[in-house]
Amino acid sequence: MDFNDKLPIYIQIMNYLKRKITSGEISECDKLPSVREFSSKLKVNPNTVQRAYQELEREDLVFTKRGMGTFVTEDDDVIMKLKKDTAKEVISNFIGEIKGLNFDDDEIIEIILNEIKKED
Amino acid sequence: MGKYIKYEIKGTYKVILGILAIVLIATTVLYNYTAKKEFSIIIALASMLIFGTFLSAFLYIVGSFRKELYEDRGYLTFTLPLTGNQILGAKLIVAFMWFFLLGSITVSYNIFMLAKTSGEMINFKELLSLINGSEIISFAIMILISGISTLILIYFSMALGRVTLKNKKIGGMWFIIFLVLSTIIAWIQMKIVTISPYYINLKDWSIVNSNISSLFQIEMGSSSLMFSTGEYSYVNILGFVTNIIAGIILFLGTGHIIENKIDL
Amino acid sequence: MGNLVEIKKLSKNYFNKKALDNLDLNIEEGKVLGILGPNGSGKTTLIKILTGLLRQSKGEVLIDGHNVGVYTKSIVSYLPDRNFLYNWMTIEDAFKFYIDFYSDFDLKRGEELLDFMKLGKDMKITSLSKGMTEKLNLTLVLSRKAKLYILDEPIAGVDPVARDQILDAIIKNYDSNSSMIITTHLVRDMENLFDDVAFLKDGGIILKGNAEKLREEKGKSIDEIYKEIFSK
Repeated sequence: MDFNDKLPIYIQIMNYLKRKITSGEISECDKLPSVREFSSKLKVNPNTVQRAYQELEREDLVFTKRGMGTFVTEDDDVIMKLKKDTAKEVISNFIGEIKGLNFDDDEIIEIILNEIKKED
Repeated sequence: MGKYIKYEIKGTYKVILGILAIVLIATTVLYNYTAKKEFSIIIALASMLIFGTFLSAFLYIVGSFRKELYEDRGYLTFTLPLTGNQILGAKLIVAFMWFFLLGSITVSYNIFMLAKTSGEMINFKELLSLINGSEIISFAIMILISGISTLILIYFSMALGRVTLKNKKIGGMWFIIFLVLSTIIAWIQMKIVTISPYYINLKDWSIVNSNISSLFQIEMGSSSLMFSTGEYSYVNILGFVTNIIAGIILFLGTGHIIENKIDL
Repeated sequence: MGNLVEIKKLSKNYFNKKALDNLDLNIEEGKVLGILGPNGSGKTTLIKILTGLLRQSKGEVLIDGHNVGVYTKSIVSYLPDRNFLYNWMTIEDAFKFYIDFYSDFDLKRGEELLDFMKLGKDMKITSLSKGMTEKLNLTLVLSRKAKLYILDEPIAGVDPVARDQILDAIIKNYDSNSSMIITTHLVRDMENLFDDVAFLKDGGIILKGNAEKLREEKGKSIDEIYKEIFSK
């Protein structure tokens, strides 16, 4: 993981973990690496990782069990909401760009359907 | 401080033992190859060897203190949780120990070689009575104390030189400070000896006044710290006390500089 | 949390040259502070005052409420930017030395770190390369459970492999009850270690703050901010 963005590191760590959760690489109830372990892997200050975990906890995506570590939420709804939020973000980016190509709405939908069929 | 003494010894023993080994070999060679010649020459050469031993040990010890002030090792020494006096005290104790060791071994070895090469049986009884004589012991202690106060004076000069002259390695500065301070101390001592002409006889601990005793007038001027007639050795009491006080002041001064003033 | 280190109006003059000029800086407990600046900006002067190797001309320095002295030396673990161990030592001797003088030395941690750095106890100090010396020094410094760690240019002049090992060792052994000061001009490699940063220029601090906040406010990495400040 590279941190060459201009964003705060803890937000980058959060985004990284969110991607892992939405893609299913880390699934419900999985234990996240310990702060020390993860900070050593990412080569960042443990306090930064701690902060990222705290922020994720505030968003209800993870929870801590005293003395056991940090775990991904068991609540499907929360994960579904994260997925939908992420999807919204992806789509709004997409729409922004495709509108720049000067297609009207029907044309856009048609292009999307064609592409999805190809993927299948 | 005990711990620091341990590491002072660990850091210096190789060189000191090296010096000792060299001088013992040289002494052996000296006695074996010049055995047929005049003993007075041998004794003169042997004395020079002993002097050389002390000088090289002295220079080595002074040099290693200099390294603390001017080289990277000071970064370790002066960030230890020790006071300046502890560091300095440990260094002086170890120096004292080395001088004592070198002195007693080289002198004993010379006596041994002398007895061996002269072919006579050593009269141990006589030898022991000689060594046990309070005169020799007090004299040796006196010399060691003077040596240590000289060492303190040198340390003080170096520390002061390091503090006053910040642009690094002007090596000679401490020596100038050293000369000036020695002159001042010698002058004060001389004044005190003149004012208080009371001497102590190192053999029977009797006290004499050099202005009254005719013996002194003949033997030497009346303002000397230490002297000996054929039979007795005398030390000026207040002069010697001055020496010790100067030593203590310089010790505390150096400790203070090391702890509070040094800019590495 | 309180401040472990408080520096008030600190100045240091060398004859007519000002090495530090009226500098104010606090270091919070449990935080890692990066002091960033090019060579000659006053970083090393500041560090040396904190470790008792230099005296300030003016101002006050308090570490854990004490003036710099025997007590502060016992709670500060200092990594100088040079080989400071005695030349006659082996690594074993250096370990014993640290155990003897610092009651907070953790031998177990020391041995693990030594192993991690791939150094052997029988090696002689004088036989070590620059990178190995740096790794050994860091091993000793991090093996203490000190209240304050001061690392002066910990990765300057070492190869990339050693650099990674050193960063790893710092992260693994830093614990949040201690504070740490790291000086560096290699900002890119180290910026993710800092909670707070202070930019030092010509003996004064021209910018300081929480690293994440600075990234957020300026929309730039600390490295980019550094370049912006010092390329002028």
